[in-house]
Amino acid sequence: MALSKEELKDAIEEKATKSPKPQLYIKDFYKCDPDSKPRVIKNVANEMVRDGRLMFWSSGSTTMYAIPGRIQNEEGA
Amino acid sequence: MAKHETPLLDQLESGPWPSFVTDIKRQAEKKPECWDILGVLELSYKERITHWKHGGIVGVFGYGGGIVGRYVDLPKRFPGVEHFHTIRVAQPASKYYSTANLRQLMDLWEKHGSGMTNFHGSTGDIILLGTRTENLEPFFWDLTHDMGQDLGGSGSNLRTPANCVGQSRCEWSCYDTEEACHHLTMHYQDEIHRPAFPYKFKFKFSGCPNDCVAAIARSDVSVIGTWRDDIRIDQAGVKEYVAGNYPANGGAHSGKDWGPFDIQKEVIGLCPTECMWMEGDELKIDDKECTRCMHCINVMPRALRPGADQGATICVGAKAPILDGAQFSTLIVPFMKISKDNDFEELIDFIETIWDWWMEVGKNRERVGETMQRVGLPTFLSVMGIEPIPQHIREPRSNPYIFWKEEEVEGGFERDIIEFRKRHAA
Ligand code: HEM
Ligand code: HEM
Ligand code: SF4
Ligand code: SF4
Repeated sequence: MALSKEELKDAIEEKATKSPKPQLYIKDFYKCDPDSKPRVIKNVANEMVRDGRLMFWSSGSTTMYAIPGRIQNEEGA
Repeated sequence: MAKHETPLLDQLESGPWPSFVTDIKRQAEKKPECWDILGVLELSYKERITHWKHGGIVGVFGYGGGIVGRYVDLPKRFPGVEHFHTIRVAQPASKYYSTANLRQLMDLWEKHGSGMTNFHGSTGDIILLGTRTENLEPFFWDLTHDMGQDLGGSGSNLRTPANCVGQSRCEWSCYDTEEACHHLTMHYQDEIHRPAFPYKFKFKFSGCPNDCVAAIARSDVSVIGTWRDDIRIDQAGVKEYVAGNYPANGGAHSGKDWGPFDIQKEVIGLCPTECMWMEGDELKIDDKECTRCMHCINVMPRALRPGADQGATICVGAKAPILDGAQFSTLIVPFMKISKDNDFEELIDFIETIWDWWMEVGKNRERVGETMQRVGLPTFLSVMGIEPIPQHIREPRSNPYIFWKEEEVEGGFERDIIEFRKRHAA
């Protein structure tokens, strides 16, 4: 049984909070629920960005996801 | 943001060609931050190391692509380029602009950015170079509200699709490339604006095998127009070329006298599959051998035309040389009808079959062409539900092993492992 959307969001948030690396690939979230299709996970992760629970980090060629407090902008650095 | 001493760059202006240094200096008179582009580049020339930092969390709300964060690592010394983000703007189909639209876009970019542009980037979209984080939202607001234009793709998104001019100007186009590109762009807005994939994904549309948009070299799905029936020959036109009354290649080589037109040498002798010959004064083609290279049609456009049963060849997996060298797309579907009548359904199904598989199996930062290479073409074809055909084979096999699947062997090869282990301990 796939997780509900809210359960999935919590699992993604937990994963992004606890992982040693602050930035994660979308594929790293697939493991949060092996029963959900990649596209479902991508839609949920994008929704979490709109809700402010996750942020994008992009090199320009690759995009990653992070918990807002865990990464800082280059502008501060 | 003052002028810097730039002797190394200044020297680049002394050559016979137009110089980007001159261009940037001219722009710096209006936009003083551009002096710092020259300053930091001069420093990099001296120190032989880049001072640009890649990536960041910049973007506009609701979008996960279209903005590429760039910063200089010496902001105190070069405050003008402390932030120097790149914005990608989706280009109009076939890059048809009105001058009014270009002026408006340039005014907008002078207002919110450095005024520096790259028309167009390798992906095909408009590249606006250099702005600060706080300008991104105001720029995006004006772009979308005042101009009705949109950002393109970047990062792990579907990238801005691109097409050749197609049927709008070109008699060779075997399907409506603009319609296909526009339809798929609108259909996949979510994939363009929100990262979905292990890495970037591109599709490009060329109307015929001349492939003016270089789809085969730079797109993960290359849709290249072709025909299934015979090249249409107008024998009266052939005679005019042979008699020297029509210029070869539409007159494209008229800058020099190449001597009289020689159909044997310039057309028949250059056909890569040697499938053309003359019978008296009639040109003959063995169309089942024709590889649709376009050469004969390019040389004699008033005598030869693509066939009438038109569609496209679909190739998959081109990429640039970041890992393991560059590669062209590989032929997967020799012929597919490309038509708006069914909303490009067959093509969309094809693309989504690839995505569903690649999103699951592709590694982080692996282009689909690399995933295909990793698993091998036979595996990829079975994922796509496509039977292997001779055209899929590029070279004789170099691997002597054949691993049969059970359903391919008469009687199968089911074993009772428990029974077997009784006789052969593990
Ligand atoms: C030593 C210096 C640099 C290196 C080694 C480098 C390397 C790369 C690589 C490997 C890519 C990915 C190419 C691809 O799309 O397949 C890339 C993309 C890019 N780089 Fe750089 N880069 C450098 C400097 C810069 C600078 C100075 C800027 C801008 C200020 C810049 C802006 C970009 C942009 C906009 C992209 C395209 C991102 C996309 O594909 O969406 N790069 N770079
Ligand atoms: C010596 C100086 C430079 C040279 C020779 C150079 C050369 C090039 C070339 C050959 C390309 C590929 C163009 C294409 O195929 O479309 C390119 C792309 C690009 N350049 Fe430069 N460049 C220079 C400086 C810069 C600077 C100073 C910036 C920004 C601060 C910059 C930003 C970019 C970007 C963002 C692209 C990628 C456009 C895309 O997405 O395709 N470049 N550059
Ligand atoms: S790819 Fe073919 S159809 Fe498209 S513009 Fe070029 S020659 Fe014409
Ligand atoms: S299109 Fe190319 S392969 Fe076909 S007949 Fe003409 S020259 Fe030969």
